[in-house]
Amino acid sequence: MTESSLSAAALRQQLDEVDYLVDEGLSTALYLALALGLPLLLEGEPGVGKTAAAKALASALGAPLIRLQCFEGLTAGEALYEWNYQRQLLAIRLAESRDEKLRDADLFTEEFLLERPILQSIRYHGPVVPVLLIDEIDRADDEFEALLFEFLGEASITIPELGTYTAQRRPMVILTSNRSRELHDALRRRCLYHWIDFPDPARAAEILRRTVPGANERLILSATDFVGRVRHFDLDKPPGMAETIDWVSALTLLGASELGRADILLTLGAITKTPDDRDTVAGELDALGYEAAAAT
Amino acid sequence: MLPAVDHSAFVVSLSARLQRAGVSVGFTGMGALVRAMAAAPLGSRASLYWATRICLVQRQSDLASFDAVFAAVFDESLGIDPHARSQPLRAVGDEDMLASIAGAPSFAEEGDGLPWATLPSVTSTTEAETGGLALPERMPSGLEGLADTPFDELDTAQLALLGGWLEAALTSWPTRRTRRQSAHHAGRRTALRPTLARARRTGWEPIELVLTRPVRKHRRVVMLCDVSQSMQCYAAAYLHLMRAVALTTDAEVFAFATTLTRLTSVLVYKSPQLAMQQASEKVADRFGGTRIASNIRALLASRHGGATRGAIVIIASDGWDSDPPDELAKVMARLHRRAYRVLWLNPRAAAPDFAPLVGGFSAALPYCDDVLPAHNIGALGDVVSAIVRAGRSDVVSSRG
Repeated sequence: MTESSLSAAALRQQLDEVDYLVDEGLSTALYLALALGLPLLLEGEPGVGKTAAAKALASALGAPLIRLQCFEGLTAGEALYEWNYQRQLLAIRLAESRDEKLRDADLFTEEFLLERPILQSIRYHGPVVPVLLIDEIDRADDEFEALLFEFLGEASITIPELGTYTAQRRPMVILTSNRSRELHDALRRRCLYHWIDFPDPARAAEILRRTVPGANERLILSATDFVGRVRHFDLDKPPGMAETIDWVSALTLLGASELGRADILLTLGAITKTPDDRDTVAGELDALGYEAAAAT
Repeated sequence: MLPAVDHSAFVVSLSARLQRAGVSVGFTGMGALVRAMAAAPLGSRASLYWATRICLVQRQSDLASFDAVFAAVFDESLGIDPHARSQPLRAVGDEDMLASIAGAPSFAEEGDGLPWATLPSVTSTTEAETGGLALPERMPSGLEGLADTPFDELDTAQLALLGGWLEAALTSWPTRRTRRQSAHHAGRRTALRPTLARARRTGWEPIELVLTRPVRKHRRVVMLCDVSQSMQCYAAAYLHLMRAVALTTDAEVFAFATTLTRLTSVLVYKSPQLAMQQASEKVADRFGGTRIASNIRALLASRHGGATRGAIVIIASDGWDSDPPDELAKVMARLHRRAYRVLWLNPRAAAPDFAPLVGGFSAALPYCDDVLPAHNIGALGDVVSAIVRAGRSDVVSSRG
């Protein structure tokens, strides 16, 4: 099996090849989750690449990515499995028209089962274990966490009518959370945990070079420096890596080869997402060294 | 990193320490960390940091406490340097550390060393934690802590410990086949006389076959140890190896520098101190020059020369010889013809850039069946297994 022969460094190399740069912490976390068959809970500020980590891992391993986007009111029917009521009704009608006797057991078979992402990842038969991304688990209700316990602990799902489905090979499960609410201890206990930090300027610059190939080198360096300093301000939503990428793309599109005051003000919407934040950053531009005179 | 440390004990004591600092650690995480340490050796401080953090920490608010505890454990001067670790008490140093630490966990700032190598925590937490989690904080056993320490850094007490371990390690011993036969159910030859004697009871019908096989006896070991100036730091450890060999089985042991001294009779004293003292009194020429060739020639010519016949001969020397190399080659060829196996222990072979450039050693090399770098306790363990292995392979041997 390819997963067990991997090392953390080799995994890092593979992720590098799909243009996802990781530090030692994240590569160790992904490697341990793969090697030990445990779910991995990723937390971090918005836009540091939690979701991208799962996508990159799937493409690095050549594994299918099964994604479950959590939202308030998410139920078992949307996450685990559901019965296909229409087909069951049709089957009943059909049986009536043929004067056949239908028992309960005939209606609750795999034929009428609709696989949802979690059951799909358990019943997946393929050469490589699938990567199941349970995105933004903090958006789902508390009760939904409890639904996951059996799956996270034993990689199995019990369907009362059919029995227990257990994964032959544990799928690689990645959960992400933005910490909009505190997750339950029982969920944390079942997972490996990794907190993703905002990448340091050197790595942020390297990421920008990969993702925005047309960008000017000086622009990249000054932009990462600028964002790094802006993050220390008291902002409602500090800019993440995703925002920085958008911003540098926007600046490149406008033909900027280096960071000037006029360009910053034009494209500030890419990194600040509220009017207050925009005003704060615009007000601090002088202090950051982008004075009105210098720009012109 | 962390060689010869019980992973489970390490994880449990680190977790206990984290829990005392207010980090909630679950059993799933501890189990995962033990499995992670088994799955991939953690080569550096950074990889150990990430593995422990990912497995043990469950929330971001715990990260600061975790970092403090981890730094206190691993950035202490005592650290993971095996040489410092072998003397934990001296490295902890301050006498106050032995006093009981009060209930408030102030250790994170103080940093009292590795969790399993700290004497103070054992004494301090036993009363405080009887209600909660009481854990033994482990020290590595004296010898495992010393496994990668070169011999020249060991003191007398540690050498005595080594001697005891060697005696215990030499349990299985190479054997040789003798011409005598003894009855054994797995034998391959039928013994005619006893089989017929039993057949008398069954009307001369040989129902019960008596099988025999050759009796096996311990193969003799002859060990020669160089006690010249250049081997001074290894001589004491090799004396302990010779004593263990001489005590365990039929062995002849000699020390040589400029002349050959037989030590078999003095090293078999039961008391190690007395044996070592007698040996050092008896060897008059120690820490002088070396004449390997003439000493081996003297051995072959002496009345103990017969002892090398069919024996496993072990020569411990760095190969720095004042005799001409072709002289050594000649005498080694004789020894090789006479002995069953010739092993050469050269402590300098452990150096990564070692090449057999010394005239004497390169001349002797073609006549050695095995060359081993016996420079520390770990390597000495390999020597013991090599001796046993040398005796096992007599099926493929053309001689002996």
